[in-house]
Amino acid sequence: MTNILWIARRLLHSTFRKRSSWIVYFGLPIAAVLLSMLIYGSSSGGSLHVGILNQDGEKTLTQDAIHFVEGLNNVKITMTDEASINKDIASGKLDSGLIFEEGFADSVQDGHPAHLRLVSAKGAEVTSYVKALLDGYLVNVAAIGQVTKNDADAFDAIFADYKNSSFKFDSESLKDTARFKDMTYQSIGFLLMFLLSSAVNMCGLILKEREDRTFLRLLSSPLSARGFVLANVLVTFIIQVLQIVITLLILKYAFGIDSGVPFGDLLGALLLFSLVAISLALLLTAFSKNSRGASALQTLIITPTCLLAGCFFPAEIMPDTVQKISSFLPQHWLLDTITKLQDGQAIGSLGLNLAILVAFAAVFTLVAIYRFSRNNDVRQFI
Amino acid sequence: MNVLEIRNLTKKFGDFIAVDNMNLSVSEGEIFGFLGANGAGKSTTINMISSLLRITKGEIQVLGRNIVKENKFSKMNIGIVPQDLAIYEEMTAYENVSFFAGLYGLRGSLLKERTEEALEFVGLGDKHKALPKSFSGGMKRRLNIACAIAHHPKLIIMDEPTVGIDPQSRNYILNSVKKLNQMGCSVIYTSHYMEEVEDLCTRIAIVDHGKIIAEGTKEQLKSIITDTKETWIGVKNAERLDLDALKRTTGVNSVRLEEQTVKIVSKGEINNLNWVIQQLIRDQVEISSVEEQAPNLETVFLTLTGRNLRD
Repeated sequence: MTNILWIARRLLHSTFRKRSSWIVYFGLPIAAVLLSMLIYGSSSGGSLHVGILNQDGEKTLTQDAIHFVEGLNNVKITMTDEASINKDIASGKLDSGLIFEEGFADSVQDGHPAHLRLVSAKGAEVTSYVKALLDGYLVNVAAIGQVTKNDADAFDAIFADYKNSSFKFDSESLKDTARFKDMTYQSIGFLLMFLLSSAVNMCGLILKEREDRTFLRLLSSPLSARGFVLANVLVTFIIQVLQIVITLLILKYAFGIDSGVPFGDLLGALLLFSLVAISLALLLTAFSKNSRGASALQTLIITPTCLLAGCFFPAEIMPDTVQKISSFLPQHWLLDTITKLQDGQAIGSLGLNLAILVAFAAVFTLVAIYRFSRNNDVRQFI
Repeated sequence: MNVLEIRNLTKKFGDFIAVDNMNLSVSEGEIFGFLGANGAGKSTTINMISSLLRITKGEIQVLGRNIVKENKFSKMNIGIVPQDLAIYEEMTAYENVSFFAGLYGLRGSLLKERTEEALEFVGLGDKHKALPKSFSGGMKRRLNIACAIAHHPKLIIMDEPTVGIDPQSRNYILNSVKKLNQMGCSVIYTSHYMEEVEDLCTRIAIVDHGKIIAEGTKEQLKSIITDTKETWIGVKNAERLDLDALKRTTGVNSVRLEEQTVKIVSKGEINNLNWVIQQLIRDQVEISSVEEQAPNLETVFLTLTGRNLRD
């Protein structure tokens, strides 16, 4: 045991003596969180650009409706003309266009709002907010019209009172938890890839020792081959724990992203995945003749499986066949666990997911041990 | 007491027998030469002594204890200087020696003392903070030795420790081997340089095809080949030489040309020098010198194995 710790100490010392290791093991996962924030942060939270085309002249009700829209939160209006409105919507300069056709003010005053069109190329995502609030406003004003029944003076008086009334209005911002969950999912997806890569890199040091012939000296000392592999596994696990903890802390405290999952559950699930990553790395090491071979296998296996399992984008957008294939990948089961935890399921109810991850780790480790034990050549040494 | 005892040792790789029923013993205080061409089985034997390879059959004892049953004991008492440099380039000389010594359980002030002692021994005391990448080939070889001796092993196995280094470092290493031996270490020494083995070793074993074909002191080995003699003839126009015709000359066993010297091994009881010279004259080869060589290890090895050590 003391020799395992002695080797582990050297491995940690040598690894973190290089600046590049800090970047690879900790910089990249943090960069991944930033990337996730960029991807999901840009999809909401900005202003809506609404083009106003007024064909109803300077009528009070029309002008008032335009002011109402202008006063809405997160809405920027642009007065435009008939020639430009469609072109600007098509080019993306405007999110939507609000067309006050001739007769709009009269129709509202009559109690039956009409001659108003809301157009957009982006659909309900950008129109529903303006439509809902404008509907509320128009229903109120139309109600005054219905009550006054063509009595213009009475309408003007009540409308003036309505405008001057003071309403108590409390507003409270709700957290957009869906966005935070998406960011968490995406960050975890990237983290899984980095965990797999760092595991292969660290276990690849076993091959490096073989190539550098230092293993001859190591194994001729009282250190056993099993102890040598265990030391590498221990160091890899320590690095993975640090990677996971740092990423989760940065996610939560530096960027204020609430994953929607209790910290302990998330940490536990990721640590379990880390064991899968290490066992897979051992498997690749056992089947590689040298570090170049391991590197090639890493490229061949890790990136495509992460892609299929939905580490880079949600699995739901992929075809059914691909989704079925992803069921054979450990990354899928970890991401599925995270999603279910975010949906409010308790970790205790996700026994199947966790058992599948344990099974992956066990199978990979057993095959690696079998492969190592079959080597009867000093160049293969374990 | 024997520091190493090998009994009926066999190693098979599939159907290939790399070491074939080998028996060998090394006494305490000996420098034991282990000679063999590439593929003869000496590295396989060394790897089994170092516990890097499993034994197929037979037994190895270090200081009277079986290396399989008492693996830790044997490992604690052996120091390996592998042929390929086994040092970490990213660690300083001190860190390298200290790390490997730590694997033998040394810690604290004892570890520091032994590390400094080993570095001083190989002449790298003033370079302890330097990285091996700044070292010459010879300095790296010396560091390779320091890493093997810091834990004070009883038996040191040196596999080609002087390959590819300058004469100064080579002399330093050879003197170090003698000093280690004087300090009480037994040494198993393999080398392609026959003169090193001849200079250093008290006893020598010649291995071929996984078997020890001869074993003894230098004098004992040389006495094996009293039935042959070697003549070196210096020539100026070697391109005219008909080697095949020379080989057919009465009493000649083998002929080889090394630069401008014809080396002829002949049967001891036949005086064939006249016929050899007549053949050279027939070939119109100009003779510059003629020397009768006393038997040496090179001749012994060539005679016994039929090939040069460097083959």
